[in-house]
Amino acid sequence: MADFKLIGKNFGPPDLEAKITGRAKYAEDFRAEGMLFAKLLVSPMPHCRVTRIDASDALAMPGVEAILTADDLPEGRGAPNDERALTMEPLYEGEPILAVAAVDETTAADAIDRIGIGLEPLPFVIDPLDSLRPGGPDARVDGNISMRVEDQTVLESRKWSQEVWAAAGEDGLPMGEPTREWSIGDIDAGFAEADVIIEENVFHQSQTHHPLEPRSCMAYWRGRKLHIHVSTQSTARTVAPVARGVGIDPSDVVVVGEYCGGGFGSKISGTVNMPIPALLARKTGRPVMLRVTRDEENYFGRARPGFQSWIKIGMRRDGRVTAIDMYIVQDNGPYGSQGDHNTAATMAHLTYQPENMRFRGITIFTNTPPRGAQRGPGGVQEVAMMAPLMDKACRELGIDRVDHLRANLPGHNATMGPAQTQLSSCFVREALELGAERFEWARKSAMSGRREGTKVTGIGVAASPYTAGSFGFDGLAVLRPDGKLYIHQGIGNLGTHSIADTGKAAAECIDISWDQCEIIWGDTSRHLPWSSVQAGSQTTHAHTRANWAAGLDLKRKLQQIAAMDLGGSPAEYEVTGGRVVHASDRARTMSFNRAASRAIELGGIFDGHELPEDLNDMTVASATALVGQGLMGVSRDNFERGGRLQSWVVGFARVEVDIETGMVDIIEYVGATDCGTVLNPRSLRAQVLGGSIQGFGVARSQKWVYDPQWGVPFTKGFHMAKPPTILDVPLDMDVVAVDEPDPFNPVGCKGIGEPPMGAGAGAIAGAIEDALGGVGFNRTPITTDMIMAALEDQPQPFRGLTAHI
Amino acid sequence: MAIIRDMMAAFELFQPASIDETVDLLGRFDDGWVLAGGLDSFEWFKMRHRRPRVVIDVSGVEELKGIRDSDGGLEIGAMTTLTEIVTNETIRQRFGVLSTAAYAVATPQIRNQGTIGGNISQDTRCWYYRGGWPCYRDGGNICYADTPTSMNREHCIFGASRCVAVNPSDTAPALIALDAKIVVRSGGSERVFDAEDFFIGPSTDITRMTVLKPGDLVTAVRIPAEWADSAFYFEKARDRQSWDFPLVNVATAIKTSGGTIQDIRLAVNAVAPYPMRLTRVEDQLRGQPINEDVALAAGEMAIQGAHLLRQNAYKVPLLRNLVKRAIRDAEVQ
Amino acid sequence: MDFFQYDSNPWGQEILVRISWDLLWAALIFGVLFVGGHLVMRKLWFPAHGATAEKAAAEVSPVVDDPGTPVAETGVASDAAPASVKRHSLGSRLFHWTMSAAMFVLLITAFFPLLGIQFPWLTIHWVAGLILIASILFHIVHATFVMDLKAVWIGPGDARDMWRRFWRSIGREGSEPALPGKYPLENKLYHHAVAVAGFGVMITGVLMMFRIDTPLFARDPYMFGEQTWGWVYVVHGLSAVGLVALIITHVYFAILPEKRWLTWSMIHGRISREKYAEHHDPERWAARD
Repeated sequence: MADFKLIGKNFGPPDLEAKITGRAKYAEDFRAEGMLFAKLLVSPMPHCRVTRIDASDALAMPGVEAILTADDLPEGRGAPNDERALTMEPLYEGEPILAVAAVDETTAADAIDRIGIGLEPLPFVIDPLDSLRPGGPDARVDGNISMRVEDQTVLESRKWSQEVWAAAGEDGLPMGEPTREWSIGDIDAGFAEADVIIEENVFHQSQTHHPLEPRSCMAYWRGRKLHIHVSTQSTARTVAPVARGVGIDPSDVVVVGEYCGGGFGSKISGTVNMPIPALLARKTGRPVMLRVTRDEENYFGRARPGFQSWIKIGMRRDGRVTAIDMYIVQDNGPYGSQGDHNTAATMAHLTYQPENMRFRGITIFTNTPPRGAQRGPGGVQEVAMMAPLMDKACRELGIDRVDHLRANLPGHNATMGPAQTQLSSCFVREALELGAERFEWARKSAMSGRREGTKVTGIGVAASPYTAGSFGFDGLAVLRPDGKLYIHQGIGNLGTHSIADTGKAAAECIDISWDQCEIIWGDTSRHLPWSSVQAGSQTTHAHTRANWAAGLDLKRKLQQIAAMDLGGSPAEYEVTGGRVVHASDRARTMSFNRAASRAIELGGIFDGHELPEDLNDMTVASATALVGQGLMGVSRDNFERGGRLQSWVVGFARVEVDIETGMVDIIEYVGATDCGTVLNPRSLRAQVLGGSIQGFGVARSQKWVYDPQWGVPFTKGFHMAKPPTILDVPLDMDVVAVDEPDPFNPVGCKGIGEPPMGAGAGAIAGAIEDALGGVGFNRTPITTDMIMAALEDQPQPFRGLTAHI
Repeated sequence: MAIIRDMMAAFELFQPASIDETVDLLGRFDDGWVLAGGLDSFEWFKMRHRRPRVVIDVSGVEELKGIRDSDGGLEIGAMTTLTEIVTNETIRQRFGVLSTAAYAVATPQIRNQGTIGGNISQDTRCWYYRGGWPCYRDGGNICYADTPTSMNREHCIFGASRCVAVNPSDTAPALIALDAKIVVRSGGSERVFDAEDFFIGPSTDITRMTVLKPGDLVTAVRIPAEWADSAFYFEKARDRQSWDFPLVNVATAIKTSGGTIQDIRLAVNAVAPYPMRLTRVEDQLRGQPINEDVALAAGEMAIQGAHLLRQNAYKVPLLRNLVKRAIRDAEVQ
Repeated sequence: MDFFQYDSNPWGQEILVRISWDLLWAALIFGVLFVGGHLVMRKLWFPAHGATAEKAAAEVSPVVDDPGTPVAETGVASDAAPASVKRHSLGSRLFHWTMSAAMFVLLITAFFPLLGIQFPWLTIHWVAGLILIASILFHIVHATFVMDLKAVWIGPGDARDMWRRFWRSIGREGSEPALPGKYPLENKLYHHAVAVAGFGVMITGVLMMFRIDTPLFARDPYMFGEQTWGWVYVVHGLSAVGLVALIITHVYFAILPEKRWLTWSMIHGRISREKYAEHHDPERWAARD
């Protein structure tokens, strides 16, 4: 492994001070002269048609400036299941119908109170299975599923026959014709080979993302240019969706979003509400702020798709998984079409490497909030569902669970899914061993079932992979005559520190000290390069590559300038310690300050006058704006690619279940990770533990409850939805990393944001069931009441696959 | 007309500096809303379902704050924060059940803001009712929480009368166990209620959780010396370790002599629309030794007559076990 | 004054909840006005009536001690009638007082809390409701198979006679009304009004028990749609406030001096031969012992 000066070292977050002191400005902290506030009228019904809007009284109120309805929006992209900012046919309770702008929020809200509105209720469905029954309701008037037919999205109403339902019995998953399926090997042969077969119906709850910062935004116009302050995960990539939502050219959009109070996949790029203040600002000629409330955040702030599934696993006596058969009915909400179910199956295949596997799935529209990617989409559901089932098989065969993982987890030449896709690298077995050692698996697993007083110990382990990188983006950094390196980052700043951590690749390349580096981020008027979305754990890999490319470009140009001025060939010069130095004649040296000045004098490729041809247009525009400011390092990431990137976390957990109260204490947790080279140990720790804690919520507490009669949710506030708090977290948590470089990243890095969540969820769910002697809940979250019922041999007060309880 | 939620409507705010001023304001405005820590009130205001014209913020009334000695016991001002109750040395040492209960409330931040007066006066958390649904408690003619499809895991197993909501206070059962008195000022007169009589059920008045009526002000909670230094127990079962209302909680104060229960007060909450003192169980326990069997019998007795809803059967064994623990594991702090 | 109370359902749609309790006040005011008006009318239009009535009341005496002469079989003239005539059987009287006790309990439990007197009323209310229903069921069976149903049948001459009685009662001249059978039309109408209101509260009351938790039915507030439920509550409320007005007038008449012989008969079961002769047509109501 290369000897890095910055990569792999601990750094504090660059925005720590701003956040702690409150100096950090989030979207809703901005104020502009004459600014109006917008409030939304959202649907009170799960599905209805707006038959009448009478805003005359509201608009006559002093201070009320404008109303915005769906009629004011530009045309959508045309797919029937596309979502727009406002609608005349709300498809879930809480979907925005109109917005009012007024001098303050109180006035805007009072104005909405005075709007006469006619709503005609339409049939609705909350539980996906209800929609598949003969004669069951569809969430949309145009159907309950979407299909791709000749590159077009078409919707249809799909019902399963009485026979399918009868075959499923009372509590089983009916398995009619799927819309997606694949298989590997021979599933029947796989089960024939098995010594134990586990077959269960498993439910995984939908879950709201719950970022602390709601997706508030403020917009104003300068001529034809829209300036919009937003909460986004990915700065550069938010431009195009905003432009599309407002109906203008992307070059006329300036996105400002320096900080993002959490996204977890719900704010990947443009959010659906962003056009509202922009269009109201255009209508009124004044800046408009839309502060999104917690309720609204729960409505249109996205959620993880829930699964109603049937899973069958075959396992040999030696712990090897011989076959996996999965059927997943996915709760999609009313818009788009999520792929979590397919990803879940792929992740199951990657994790257990069965020679025989079949996946079947169908995605059903429901009148519940729109779904989106949530940290480890599909992966989290897979681990939370599968880990406890694997535990059950191990229990039946008397196999140690770590031995079982040893027998199945992929080696270095792993492939995944039906296409047998190659991975760039895979060190999960090493992670397993490292974690088992740190957790003291042998000693701890012997504590399983041990009772002290009323508390019983449970031990869990779960392996969780997820995608960890992409490639082909641009790096842009300018070494200015002040001797500082200005690293332009088009990725976002949602608390992962990647704006700084990935910038270190450029700095590392030219061996400049970190305090001589400035990060330029969070404002597209500050000339940002084309970047990956800050999602899917892509950034670490993609932008260490892109910034390394920019760094190499800088280094090459520094050597060229030195050779030009000091003689010799560029290759004879080293770039080190903030200078360019001749390798054998140390007196022939040039400071970065001098080199930057020379670059401006030289022009051409050196200061950005001439740019590489393969750059993205956005990078070209940004680089062109920076011409003549110093020595420009700008390059597309053209490094070698070698298969799909996957990172891993193996989670180990110890819990204590109080058998008199059903309450669970998480005592200890270790996350062992394969994320390639560790980029910043502190950031890694934050990611692995933070993600795992989010997974604790999946396993333990995070609820999503609907009243089925009215189709409206209750779990909107944090105290009702119950994501874990910091006081639910054990003090004894640790992270260990394999720290083996990925061969297809210049600094060896892979992303790590996604996999911890599944690891946390699977390990805790498994540990709780372990404490209870193998009681299978086949459902998450496993709440106190469910544990209490299990301890008392009471039936659970709901059917096995019932959604939203 | 359109309905907007999650946005506070405007109101006129008064910030009196004394109890008399507060009472005077309450007399002047018949819909005056007393604002203590705001943790219950603001949620109502944001729902826009409660829209008082006048809000009287009593956080500036110094007379309502602080913990004072009183006849060997304590008088706790209604605006004393839960954090102060948690950290007060006298309460910790002599009336530990109250500090344990206060510590179980919500989160450190909420305890810094929430007050004892507010905690005992808080409204139920039934999500149908809090959602502004026109239920019995809201003056309507239906309970949405007890239908064949209701989501009622958190709802009551005792004391239902049309309404099946529960009282969510953690401090209430501790105050009942300590035989605390609640001091209420209405107009010029002062009334003192036993803690257990302060709370009322839906059979009496379905729209109120306590005896408080518009114009009333809780000024103090008095803890008599009687139960100081008893053996205490408080426990709260919940889904999360913090920021969670009780699924069931229990509080006891026990006077023992040579391992025998001489006297006991036992109260539970979140199982009925009001905190329940289990007098029958208390009677049964007087004179009994403290052991597992006696404790279990007490638990069994506590659940007699429970009436189950669709999703709350687990509350029965949970209550039984918590009562059992409250006897078995009570100790002098 | 509002007639109905509305609210917004969880979807924000307006729904009918119940009658406005303003109507309770309306019923009370109606009752008081009726009683007051009647008293005034008695004094103004028929001043002699009061004195006569008081005199008549003074003559009333318990008749139970006077079993009287043997009973004529059927259709006998008044002079052949026994000294006292059985007007209400023991069953009828038990029914009447059970029903009225239940009714009072129902009205008290229903309306006192609304007037600010709070107590746990619900269980008492529905138990009293069940007693009321049981008593009414008894009454229906009893009336059908034992009593003379025709006594409360409204006949062709009833209206004419009632009008004549009223005409004369306000001091005008007119034809002499014919004597009624067991009940004059006013009584029959009153009975039927009470029956309608009673059936109104009882039928809706039973349905409403599906909205509360009782040991009798599985609670199912969604058994009907919300508008149907709204009307159930409205009918219950209207019938109940109607009963308030009816009962006020009933009690008023029961305590009027000239009617006390009737009131007594609901306790002892009998009326005197004189009253029988004076107020009833033996052709239409044969005296029995």
